[in-house]
Amino acid sequence: MALLSISEPGQSPRRSHANKHALGIDLGTTNSLVASASPDGPKVITNEDGCELLPSVVAYSKNKILVGQLALNSAEQISSVKRLMGRGSSDIKHKLSYTLTNAESGGMPLIETSAGLKSPVEVSAEILKVLAAQGKQYLNAEIDGVVITVPAYFDEAQRQATKDAARIADLNVLRLLSEPTAAAVAYGLDKKLEGNVIIFDLGGGTFDVSLMRLEKGVFEVLATGGDTALGGDDFDRAIMHWVQEQSQIELQQEQIAELSSIARNAKHVLTEEQTVEIKFSAWSGVLSREHYYQLIDPLIQQTLKACRRVLRDASMEISDITDVVMVGGSTRSPRVQEKVESFFQRSLLNEIDPDQVVALGAAIQADILVGNKYDNDLLLLDVNPLSLGIETMGSLVEKIIPRNTTIPVSRAQDFTTFKDGQTVMSLHVLQGERELVEDCRSLAKFELCGIPPMVAGAAVIRVSFQVDADGLLSVEAEEQSSGVKSSIVVKPSFGLEEKEIEAMILASHREAEHDRDLRRLKENEVEALRIIEAIKSALAQDAELLDEAELKSLQQGLSTLEEALKSDDADLIQQHSEALNELSVTFAARRMDSQIKTAFKGKKLEEVDR
Amino acid sequence: MTIANKNYFEIFSLQESFDLDLENLTVEYKNLQSQMHPDKFSGADDASRLHALQLSSIINDAFDTLKSPLKRAAYLLTLNGINPEENNQNHLAESFLLQQMEWRDLLDDATEEEDLTLVENLKQEVMEERENCIIEFQDFVNAYNFVDAKPIYNKLQFVEKMLVEINRSEEKILDY
Repeated sequence: MALLSISEPGQSPRRSHANKHALGIDLGTTNSLVASASPDGPKVITNEDGCELLPSVVAYSKNKILVGQLALNSAEQISSVKRLMGRGSSDIKHKLSYTLTNAESGGMPLIETSAGLKSPVEVSAEILKVLAAQGKQYLNAEIDGVVITVPAYFDEAQRQATKDAARIADLNVLRLLSEPTAAAVAYGLDKKLEGNVIIFDLGGGTFDVSLMRLEKGVFEVLATGGDTALGGDDFDRAIMHWVQEQSQIELQQEQIAELSSIARNAKHVLTEEQTVEIKFSAWSGVLSREHYYQLIDPLIQQTLKACRRVLRDASMEISDITDVVMVGGSTRSPRVQEKVESFFQRSLLNEIDPDQVVALGAAIQADILVGNKYDNDLLLLDVNPLSLGIETMGSLVEKIIPRNTTIPVSRAQDFTTFKDGQTVMSLHVLQGERELVEDCRSLAKFELCGIPPMVAGAAVIRVSFQVDADGLLSVEAEEQSSGVKSSIVVKPSFGLEEKEIEAMILASHREAEHDRDLRRLKENEVEALRIIEAIKSALAQDAELLDEAELKSLQQGLSTLEEALKSDDADLIQQHSEALNELSVTFAARRMDSQIKTAFKGKKLEEVDR
Repeated sequence: MTIANKNYFEIFSLQESFDLDLENLTVEYKNLQSQMHPDKFSGADDASRLHALQLSSIINDAFDTLKSPLKRAAYLLTLNGINPEENNQNHLAESFLLQQMEWRDLLDDATEEEDLTLVENLKQEVMEERENCIIEFQDFVNAYNFVDAKPIYNKLQFVEKMLVEINRSEEKILDY
């Protein structure tokens, strides 16, 4: 509750209720993990078989959904779904072991399964559900919130899709956290690492590199770069391609999964051995390590190029870097290590398991965000990875928020009409670094209607971009000169429609409706009690900030909600909770302002006041 | 007075001036974000979270503006009633504009021939001009002469734009 947490810094209020339960989730392309923080430090939660990694694979059949290891034996498995998140059909360039249809949902192609068409978001939700259940069982408690990691280089649409998946899995997302930032949290808090740190994160399907400054609890992303479609899977694909070339076998769709697993094995063998014998169908051949390196060197070169870019964006030299942290299973590759080591001219840090480090960092951050560690002074300052802008005349993109701007951020720019009497303006929101609209990713299109007719150039349309701490964008347009306001908030066109999400949530819970109702009642009750407690304690401290009428209406709201709590009616409780929350808005804002004044105390404000 | 009504200097409790102690600014910035970042309000109600998001965004924008000499200069002019973008080319000395054209030609040639040394030398020269502009601007601001500070700002704009182009050319030659 805000009213609780805005007490003065350093004077953390005691929590009246027990510790809350939070999870850190690394939703990976190839494997996913879940971790939780405990007083002894963060820990990866294993499943009942003792496995830490859950293969990010889902198989649908008529009456069952299999996830992880269990799905790996199914002929109809869906893997690497992360690569489809927030992506249109035209973005997906490599062969898949499953079939994408022309049908779309939220701009993403739907996947054909025995249980009907599924969106990549729904498939991801199944993985999240299993991870959350694993966490719930381990902690033996309901989960209050999760932090889910995403590649730093994930764009708006990919982030939104991830958040939607969490909603379908019925998880309360405390924060989407960039994977390299999560890794930095693990190293910074657990290993007390400080300085200018490169986080080199090569996973199964994505590559991220971030340059961060770590000092005294402040973790600041200086620059980030990468490629959301480059990872260890591409090493496998390079081997697959080689096998196909050598064997002259025309690859059938049902063979893709088999060959991909053969390639993965070969890759692993080559980290130890000089050669590997590969058998596929009737063909067999030998791949030497040297030749394998030739296949993957161009891919590694791409990662180093991104490293140079990041150094440049942060105006730093290689000699300014104090440490290089390796994250992601693919950094186990000796060739990758060799190349990165020689690029940065220093030895690499990999003392925390590169597969686990992201989930561990996410768990630490989740524990803080859920409110278990009030005394923490951890501050994560993240950046937006790609520039955000709007289409202007001539199909050009006017950048409104450049890449590597610290978030949260809001920026506005004024535009005007170009025809006399123009009453409608079309706005097209884009993401990317290029100048032309066609080279950038289209996020949303919307129209501002009801502009009062004026001569061309007289109307002032202020377009405001707001990026929140999760890196999610909302855009608003408003006509200003006439005082007539019309505004609209858009969701990116790749995100799912609210009603689609609702429908998916419903479908996913139909069988457990009763439990859900009960849970909702419980949650609403808890929330109501929290609001009551917070307002009462805020009133005890700061009642003088309110006038008599405000105080009276707040107290009335309190007693109405207390009455509603006796009813067992979830809707009624929610309704009165919201009403009371609404009533306390002014109070919260005033308390926050008075707190800021306190923070400025002793700094001779009058000296700077003009 | 709330953060939303303060000017950017006031937010960080700084004197309104062009000559800033960047280290001090950074410390103040991190101090404020430690209190106002949305992460500090993750368990809060919607209204407080929205408020924190807005304040934190303002603090980020204030920091972003003040830490860059060019943006800081424009902001100072605006605060003192001068529109920094008005007639931004008309009153620049002809010699300066000629120099601009010369630099641009030089850069085009160097980029074409992929001559990195030439680009680096040009960069050095432009950086020196940038330093000069900053000193000149500062002198006018210290004398509260914002009218004469404005054309220096417009010069600085040219110089910064030139630097962006030089960087782009470097990136092209180095294949980033």
